[in-house]
Amino acid sequence: MAVFPKIAEIIAAALPCEIERVKLEASLIDDLGAQSIDFLDIVFRLERAFKVKLPRGKIIEDARGNLSQVEFEQGGLVSPAGLERLKLFLSEVPAGRFASPLKVADIPRLFTTETFCKMVVRQQQTTAAAAGAKPA
Amino acid sequence: MEAASRAFSFVDRITSVHHGRQIRGRYAIPAELRDFPLALVGEAVGQLAAWAAMAAVDFGQRPVAGLAGSIELLQVPLPGQVLELAADLENVDAEGVAYGGTAHVDGTPVIRLKDCVGPMVPLADFDNPEALRTRFEQLCRAGVAPGGFRGLPQLALERTGGEPGQSVSASFQVPAEAPLFADHFPRRAVFPGSLFMHINLQLGAALASEISPPAEGRWVPATILDMKLRSCIPPGATLRLEAKLKQHSPESASPTLEGRTSKEIIATAGLRLRPGAGE
Repeated sequence: MAVFPKIAEIIAAALPCEIERVKLEASLIDDLGAQSIDFLDIVFRLERAFKVKLPRGKIIEDARGNLSQVEFEQGGLVSPAGLERLKLFLSEVPAGRFASPLKVADIPRLFTTETFCKMVVRQQQTTAAAAGAKPA
Repeated sequence: MEAASRAFSFVDRITSVHHGRQIRGRYAIPAELRDFPLALVGEAVGQLAAWAAMAAVDFGQRPVAGLAGSIELLQVPLPGQVLELAADLENVDAEGVAYGGTAHVDGTPVIRLKDCVGPMVPLADFDNPEALRTRFEQLCRAGVAPGGFRGLPQLALERTGGEPGQSVSASFQVPAEAPLFADHFPRRAVFPGSLFMHINLQLGAALASEISPPAEGRWVPATILDMKLRSCIPPGATLRLEAKLKQHSPESASPTLEGRTSKEIIATAGLRLRPGAGE
């Protein structure tokens, strides 16, 4: 993934940790010790580095896809349909790491470096498509 | 609002505001103060940005101190001077505000903040949203009478160890009570991140005094880098602080600063020292 080296550099600077530890499959929380303030830090650094807007909550919103909020989660727990959708969306996360039931608040525990790489690439594509769609 | 309840407020007037993008204001440093540290100037810029952020989300959330990419410490202002404050918002939403800002005195910049991010928290947990909305309108119209801030409480560091010229460790007891807590914040007292930065700068200065001096003058703090506050500091907390020298050359010296409770790291930052006039 072409964006990986830059994203690894950003994650290593934000946490901070040695860049060698920021592997594509590393969980930011469980493997690298990230806290919620670190996610905010990483997202803003990614926005500045890649010149894209990454709306907060974007990963979960994208993961939900065409499921409504109620179909995706109930009482703070991800529904069975939501869990299947999440596994598809976060295909980079090993299946064994998806707890069942899964609390919505625990979804960020699943995020890996690759999750952020995919988010940036998706947003770059969205931005490029929007720019291409604009009348000259 | 009574001056006593503004014991830690550093914006007297908002002179212009562009919704969610830009805000300008001023603060008159009370003339009777003994001094006014640069950390408080940084607090003033942060408070100005907070007003813009709160207004942008209709006073549903407020930012708290979180991240600062760099804070250039340019010149310490004097009591009696007026700070011209500016903040430019890069982004604001229910999760955070990203901004940069400056403070000038008589056209000369005294502090410059870049790449700052304040995580948003529910405003009603910390303050009365309606009271803040009213105060914002007042600040935007005629402003408020200056002088609510009467000086800092005693903030004493107790040195606990270190290696001369390489590291300094210290213990810091956050005051359990102080007038500033009634203002920061009315519904949940939090020790201000800016004062924690002030304490850390004192520790950095203690280390700087032990580093082999530059060819001329002495080491003075120039820039705080990558400051990150990981959690709110409650009144009465006991913190352990450490400053460690990471890099040293004839042109600059760079210690790292870290603050922790017995359980966790709560703040980290880098400090760049430059040669300055011996005083």
